[in-house]
Amino acid sequence: MKNSFRKRTNVLLAKAFTRWPVLGRLWSKTAPITTSTDVPWTPMSKPLSDCRISLVTTGGLHLKTDQPFDMDDPQGDPTFRVIPANARQADLAITHNYYDHADADRDFNLLLPLDRVRELALAGHLAGVTPSHYSFMGHIDGPHVATLEREILPALVGRIRTERPGFVFLTPA
Amino acid sequence: MGLIQRGIEAAGIPTVSLSILRDITERVRPPRALFLRWPFGHPLGELGNTAQQFTVLHDAFDFLYTAAPGEIRDLPYPWRRHTYSMPAAWNLKATHPMS
Repeated sequence: MKNSFRKRTNVLLAKAFTRWPVLGRLWSKTAPITTSTDVPWTPMSKPLSDCRISLVTTGGLHLKTDQPFDMDDPQGDPTFRVIPANARQADLAITHNYYDHADADRDFNLLLPLDRVRELALAGHLAGVTPSHYSFMGHIDGPHVATLEREILPALVGRIRTERPGFVFLTPA
Repeated sequence: MGLIQRGIEAAGIPTVSLSILRDITERVRPPRALFLRWPFGHPLGELGNTAQQFTVLHDAFDFLYTAAPGEIRDLPYPWRRHTYSMPAAWNLKATHPMS
């Protein structure tokens, strides 16, 4: 019952934020986010044309053949899904009830610009596109934050490293 | 998303991200972020506008080399009130993504 109420509240808030973006910005001023003091930093060491790219989005994108993100948990889902570099529009779906993804349902490049970076690689502006790209469902709250930091993130970073991208490009929902 | 970006950068891989909520990004402090005052669900822009998508990508990739640590740069594009052309440095043709 409590979970159901929280889920409904999340959906209503998301609809309001989509319709009136100013509300989203007001919410973000008071959202319970820990403030970091340091900034991790790795300088670019190669030109773009020598870099392979990996993409990460938090827009809830996944292969239709994969398990959808868990929308039953009002505190979200900290897990990620792999999007292979050769994924096409017809292969993909979005499971995320907390923003309006009607446009991204028609063109996933609005969230994860895989077609665009493939075109850049073909033209030689990038060295290539790594075999795997990654998608989260951006709503990660409560105990899932610690799970993300302690378990999911090290696993993600380990996977990304094996494919040796020159850099990673990340997009929100 | 900023936590994920910080984790990847800390592992020795450079990162750049787009931000739709500046206040959150300011507190999470990712290494490099470009802020767009655009609606949720459209970090790369409007449906069908590949010149816009390439423009955002070009700005993001350029920022990889020009950002100071922790910098959040505001991109100057108003939502639906800007005409995009293909980035001059990239020899590409705009295509319709659904074609």
